Amino acid sequence: MKASWKNIAEPVVFFVALLVLWEILVEIIKVPAFILPPPRDLWVAFIKKLPILGNHALITFIEAFGGFVLSLVLGVGFAIAVVYSRHLQNTIYPLIVILYAMPKSAFAPLMVIWVGYGLFSKIAIAFLVAFFPIVVNTVVGLKEVEPELLELARINRGSDLDVFKKIRLPNSLPYMFAGIKVAIVLSVTGAIVAEFVAANQGLGYLVLQANYSLDTAFALVILLTLAVLSLGLFWLAEILQRKLAPWSAAVREVEGSF
Amino acid sequence: MPPLISVEEVSRVFTGGARAVTALERVSFEIQTGNFVSIVGPSGCGKSTLLKIISGLLPPSSGKISVGGKRVDQPLENVGMVFQAPVLLKWRSVLGNVLLPVEFGKLDVAGYLDKARALIQLVGLAGFEEMFPHELSGGMQQRASLCRALVTDPQLLLMDEPFGALDAMTRDELDIELLRIWEERKKTVLFVTHSIQEAVFLSDVVFVMSARPGRLLETIVINLPRPRTVEMMSAVKFGEYTLKIRSLLSTAGGGHAAAAGSTM
Ligand SMILES: Nc1ncnc2c1ncn2[C@@H]1O[C@H](COP(=O)(O)OP(=O)(O)O)[C@@H](O)[C@H]1O
Ligand SMILES: [Mg+2]
Repeated sequence: MKASWKNIAEPVVFFVALLVLWEILVEIIKVPAFILPPPRDLWVAFIKKLPILGNHALITFIEAFGGFVLSLVLGVGFAIAVVYSRHLQNTIYPLIVILYAMPKSAFAPLMVIWVGYGLFSKIAIAFLVAFFPIVVNTVVGLKEVEPELLELARINRGSDLDVFKKIRLPNSLPYMFAGIKVAIVLSVTGAIVAEFVAANQGLGYLVLQANYSLDTAFALVILLTLAVLSLGLFWLAEILQRKLAPWSAAVREVEGSF
Repeated sequence: MPPLISVEEVSRVFTGGARAVTALERVSFEIQTGNFVSIVGPSGCGKSTLLKIISGLLPPSSGKISVGGKRVDQPLENVGMVFQAPVLLKWRSVLGNVLLPVEFGKLDVAGYLDKARALIQLVGLAGFEEMFPHELSGGMQQRASLCRALVTDPQLLLMDEPFGALDAMTRDELDIELLRIWEERKKTVLFVTHSIQEAVFLSDVVFVMSARPGRLLETIVINLPRPRTVEMMSAVKFGEYTLKIRSLLSTAGGGHAAAAGSTM
């Protein structure tokens, strides 16, 4: 897609207008600052608390990304195991599906008991929420192979390992990335929720502190920081997908080119 | 000379679904080495099933198949297969796709490179070796899949409605090219199609099959000179062959139409 001037200018103008409107409305209606501060206050809070924000953001990033990486490694490994083992498919997979149906964030208090108060309980929750989308999508990607390709492999005496390496695994990549993009954003949510339950650091902890002191401007700044963090991680996945599975990007572009 | 392929009283029943489906019923025929043979029949009459049974990918429920004098009880070695869809690997270039059977067979890839390139040239894809499937038209993709079927130089080529999804013009073009390759490389081809014209145009022998349960209705030997040209399609004899097959299919189809409808 070509980025014309209009495609850059339009959103910029829109967002500036939105900020101006916000500022004016808050001024006219005289909304108390603890309910909705003007954007100016957000900027001030951001500049003043930048170092604190950075430190806590780093903590949340480590928790979310750690949980995500764990879910990627274990999720892909588990997906492969399920696809190749009927026993696992009959036993562990239903268990996973039951777990999937539970709200994962409800595990946060339990995690504190199981793995403690520190980073690991947050990584565990981030892992839990990110694990399922990766497993489910990867399983589909490994399975949804054109049957003719498998016939071709049989006729040419292709080994199971070759079928896996040359057909199933690459075939699953676009699906895997679809799962990764969901998982990576969810992992941030998972980390935040875990911090809500029990933490003394991280953006989730910080937003609670801001709430207690009615520092709404800073709370909003933290939320925006979370948005930037999630978007950054999402983009990272997007870039990786273009590198590792360019054919899926090509397909998507055709679909979205109206 | 003994036939290359002999099919004796082959039946196949599928029992997996809600009810048993008899896809093939006591089909028998022989195919001579070097012949171009087509199977025509209505959709669902068991053409694909028959091809799979001959290739050894699917066992028959009863009956016997032999290829080259040997009974088929496992997937055939070195047979080329072309399907209705090109089924190319999206993540591989044309050349990479063509070499896939070589890699599966643990053959020497480097040794087959020239062969693969020559084939790609032969089907008119020279210059597209490094292109990816999504950059090619449907016809070009099917040409690539033809190369993939030919790369290990198989004696036998099994083609399941290979040009059925293409537009009429591209199909004619590929038919002519297939004949050229067949004449040059001396293969035996078993070609499934639902186009009567295509079957007559390409073949030495046409097997006509009836709708469910799939039976062999008649074997028609096509006595048209080779090489075949597009002009022959307007010859009187060509018309006689197509008419004959059409009437065979319509009488058989008429008797089974109600039954076929009720099993849908
Ligand atoms: N794997 C299968 N399981 C159950 N029924 C099948 C299977 N494959 C084919 N059939 C049935 O066998 C019949 C013949 O199918 P097929 O050989 O694909 O026909 P054709 O290729 O002539 O269109 C159809 O009625 C189809 O539904
Ligand atoms: Mg078919």
